[in-house]
Amino acid sequence: MLFNSLHFLLFLPVVVLLYYLLSPRYRWPLIFAASCCFYMAFVPAYILILFFVILVDYFSGILIESASGKRRKLYLVLSLLSNCLLLAFFKYYGFITTNIHDLLALFGVNVNTGHLNIILPIGLSFHTFQSMSYTIEVYKGNQKAERHLGYFANYVLFFPQMVAGPIERYDRLGNELRKEQSLRYKNLSEGFRLVLFGLFIKMVIADNIAPLVNLVYNNPIEHSRKEVIAAVLMFSFQIYADFFGYSTIAIGSARLLGISIMDNFKTPYLSTSISEFWNRWHISLSTWFRDYLYIPLGGNRVAAGRWVFNTMVVFLVSGLWHGANWTFVIWGALHGCMLLLERVFKKTKQKADALPWLKPLLILKTFAITSLIWIFFRAETFENAGTIFRILFFGNAKGTNEAGLGVAFSCAIVMLVVDIWLQHSRFDLKLRTLHFWQRWSIYALLLFAITALAGARKFSFIYFQF
Amino acid sequence: MGKKIGIRFCLIVLIAVLSNYLYTSLLYPGDFKEYSPKLYALQQSADSTDIYYFGESSNTSFVYSDSLYTSISGLCAKFYPTLYFRTINKEATHAGIYKRWLKIFEKKNKFPKALVVTLNMRSFNAGWIYSDLENSLQEGLVFANSGPALLNRFFLSLRAFSTITTEESEALVQKEWSEKQLLFPYKTKHKTVREWDDQMANGGYLNADGTWNQSKIELACHFIKAYALNIDSANPRIKDFDEIAEWCSQHRVKLYLNLMAENVQYADSLVGKDLVFLMRRNHDFLVNRYNHGNCTVVDNFDKIDGKLFIDQNWTTEHYVLKGRMFIAKNLAEKLSKDFKNQFVKAY
Repeated sequence: MLFNSLHFLLFLPVVVLLYYLLSPRYRWPLIFAASCCFYMAFVPAYILILFFVILVDYFSGILIESASGKRRKLYLVLSLLSNCLLLAFFKYYGFITTNIHDLLALFGVNVNTGHLNIILPIGLSFHTFQSMSYTIEVYKGNQKAERHLGYFANYVLFFPQMVAGPIERYDRLGNELRKEQSLRYKNLSEGFRLVLFGLFIKMVIADNIAPLVNLVYNNPIEHSRKEVIAAVLMFSFQIYADFFGYSTIAIGSARLLGISIMDNFKTPYLSTSISEFWNRWHISLSTWFRDYLYIPLGGNRVAAGRWVFNTMVVFLVSGLWHGANWTFVIWGALHGCMLLLERVFKKTKQKADALPWLKPLLILKTFAITSLIWIFFRAETFENAGTIFRILFFGNAKGTNEAGLGVAFSCAIVMLVVDIWLQHSRFDLKLRTLHFWQRWSIYALLLFAITALAGARKFSFIYFQF
Repeated sequence: MGKKIGIRFCLIVLIAVLSNYLYTSLLYPGDFKEYSPKLYALQQSADSTDIYYFGESSNTSFVYSDSLYTSISGLCAKFYPTLYFRTINKEATHAGIYKRWLKIFEKKNKFPKALVVTLNMRSFNAGWIYSDLENSLQEGLVFANSGPALLNRFFLSLRAFSTITTEESEALVQKEWSEKQLLFPYKTKHKTVREWDDQMANGGYLNADGTWNQSKIELACHFIKAYALNIDSANPRIKDFDEIAEWCSQHRVKLYLNLMAENVQYADSLVGKDLVFLMRRNHDFLVNRYNHGNCTVVDNFDKIDGKLFIDQNWTTEHYVLKGRMFIAKNLAEKLSKDFKNQFVKAY
C-alpha cells in the first residue's frame, strides 16, 4: 500500500480510530494485523519472508541472551547469515550470477548461470537491517531479548516504517510500541501536520519533478545540454523530496498512534561538506553503517591506510545496499572518495568554515558534487551515465523539448525555501511556534497544493525498490 | 478535546470548499483540457453538433500508399456537408469508455441528433477487456465523475480510479483463456482458447522443407486469441453497449452501431472454419441484439477484402483508403435513413 494512495488515506484513520478504541492490551494484535494488511497489499506471499525474518531473529535474540562463550557468537553469526542470505537470494542473485557469467565469459568459458524471475520484496533491505540491529544489540549486551513474539513482530513489521525506514533500533521503537498510549490531542495534531506536509513534499514536489527527470534519464541522447543539466539538478531534489516526504509521512503516521520514530533527514542540501551531508541524509542508514560496520572495522582510530579501507568498505557496501547494480557501487565509491579527499583538505576546510561569507559557496559546492554523483544512482546503466556526463561537458546537438522545465524548477525552488525555513527545526515543531491563523493558513496552502497541484501521474517511492 | 477536533474539522471542510471554488475557477479548465482531452472536445462541441462519431484506431489509421489521408468519419462527413459531424477518437476505446463520454451531454443538457459508435469484435475478447491499456483510458475519465472538481483532480493524482497492473491483466486473460469453454454445436478438438492456441502452436504450419512456418503459426495463434470467444449477454462490453442503447433511447438520440470489418478471409485460411463459425455467430448475435428500434447496425463485418487491411501480420481493423471509403459510404447510406434531406452523394 503506497502512502500516496486512496487506500492508505482510508486505512490510516481506521487504524488510528481502532487503536484508541481498543484497550492497550489488544493494540499489538491490531498493529500486527494492520501491518500485515499494509504489506500484503504489495505481494501477499512475501509476508512469509517477513515472518521468516521475525522468527529467526526472535529466537536468535533469546538464544544469544541465554548462551555464553562461543555459542553466543555462533547464534549471532547464524542470525546474520540467514538475513544476509535472504537478501542475497532475493536482491543479489541475478547480480551475482550475471557477474559470474560475464567474468567466466572473459576467459572464454560460457556457463549458464540461470536466471530467477522474482520480484524483489518491497523494503527487504530495510527490515532485514532493522532486524539485524536487534540481534547485534542483544549480542553486545545492550538490549534484552524480547520474549513477546507479538511485540518483536511489530518491531519488524510496524507499517509506517517497514518498507523504507527510518531503520529503527529496538531500544527505541520496541519501547515505543510497548508504551500504553493514551489519546492525546498533541499526538493527533502533530501526526496530522507531518502526514500533510509529507504528502505535499512527495505528491507536489517530487511527483512534479519526476516526469522531467524520467524523460531525460530514459533516453539522454535525445536531449540538449540544458535539459540534461536540469534533469541532473532536478533529480537531486526529486530523490530528496521523495524520500523526505516518505519519511515524514512515516513519522506522522506513527505519531498519530502516539509512537515516536527517528528523523531521517536534516536539510541535507544545506551541508557544507560531504561528511556533513552524510550526517544529515538518510540518518538511520548512516548511523546503522557507522555502528555495525564502520566502528567494528576499527572506525577512524586506526592507521591512515586502514581508515581509508574502512571508509571505502562502508561506502561500497552502502552503494550495494541500495541496489544490485555496479552503478550503485560506483555511487558509493565516489562518496567514499569525496570523504577521503575532504579529510586530505581538512585544514583548508577548517579555514573556510571560519569565513561565514564562504558558507553559501561551500553549500553550492557540496550540492554540485552530490548532484553529479547522483547520476550513477539514477542512471540504469553505465552507458546512460556516460551519455549524461558527455552531454553535460560536451553538449548535444539534439533536443529542443523543454516542456516541464518550468514546473520542475518551481518545485525545486519551493523545496529549497522549505529547507531553509526548516533548517533548525522539524515541520511540526516549527508550526508550534506559529500563531493559530498562521498555522491554519499553512494547512490551507498545503491542502490546496496536494489536491489541486499534485503531479497528475503517481510515482512509487524511489526507496521502495531497495 | 472533542470540541477542539470539531472546530478543526469544520475548518478543514471550509478550506476544502474554498479550495474547490478556487480550483474550479482558476485551474480546472486547463486540467480538464490536459487530462481529459476527449471529454473536453465533447464539452466544447456539444452545443453545435448534429452527429457524433465515436471511434478508435480503425478510424485514423493510414498507410503511405493511401492517396488521401482522410479518416472514415471524415469521409462519411462528406456525404452530409450541411450537418455538423464531429469525431471523438481515441485508440483502444470501447463501449465501456463511450458510455462514460455520454455524461458530458447530460452535464450540458445538450444532445446530438445521432451517435455513431464504432465497435470491433476484438473489443469483446478477454485480451481487450482486461488490457492494461485500460488504465490510460480510465485516467481520461476521472473528470467525468460526478462530485467536486477538486476531488476528481485529487483522485487523478492518487490514481484512485479503476486500474489494473500488467501482472493482474495477464493473470485474468490467461484464466479466461484456460477456463472459459468455447461453445460449438458440433464436436471440436479445442474446448478453450488455451487448448486451441497450444494445438496451433504445436501442430501448425510446415514449410516445404519440413521446418515450422513460425510467422504463419504466430499469426494463426493471434487470430485464435483475438476471435475465439462466445459473445453473450454476460459480456461486459454487451452490458456497456446496452447502457448506451438505453441512454440514446431515453434522450432521443439515434444510435448507429458501426460494426467494423474483420479479416474473415485470413481467419478462414489461417485457422479454419471453426474460427469463422465463432466470428459469424458473434456477428449474428450483435446484429440480432441491436439492429432494431432506435439502433441501427452498420454491418461491415465481412465486407472488406483481406488485402485491404493495413496490417497483414496482425489482427487489427485498420484499412487502406479503399476500405475506409467503403465503410464510410456504408455508414453514410445507413445514416440517410434519418438524414435523407441532408445526404449528398460524395462518391
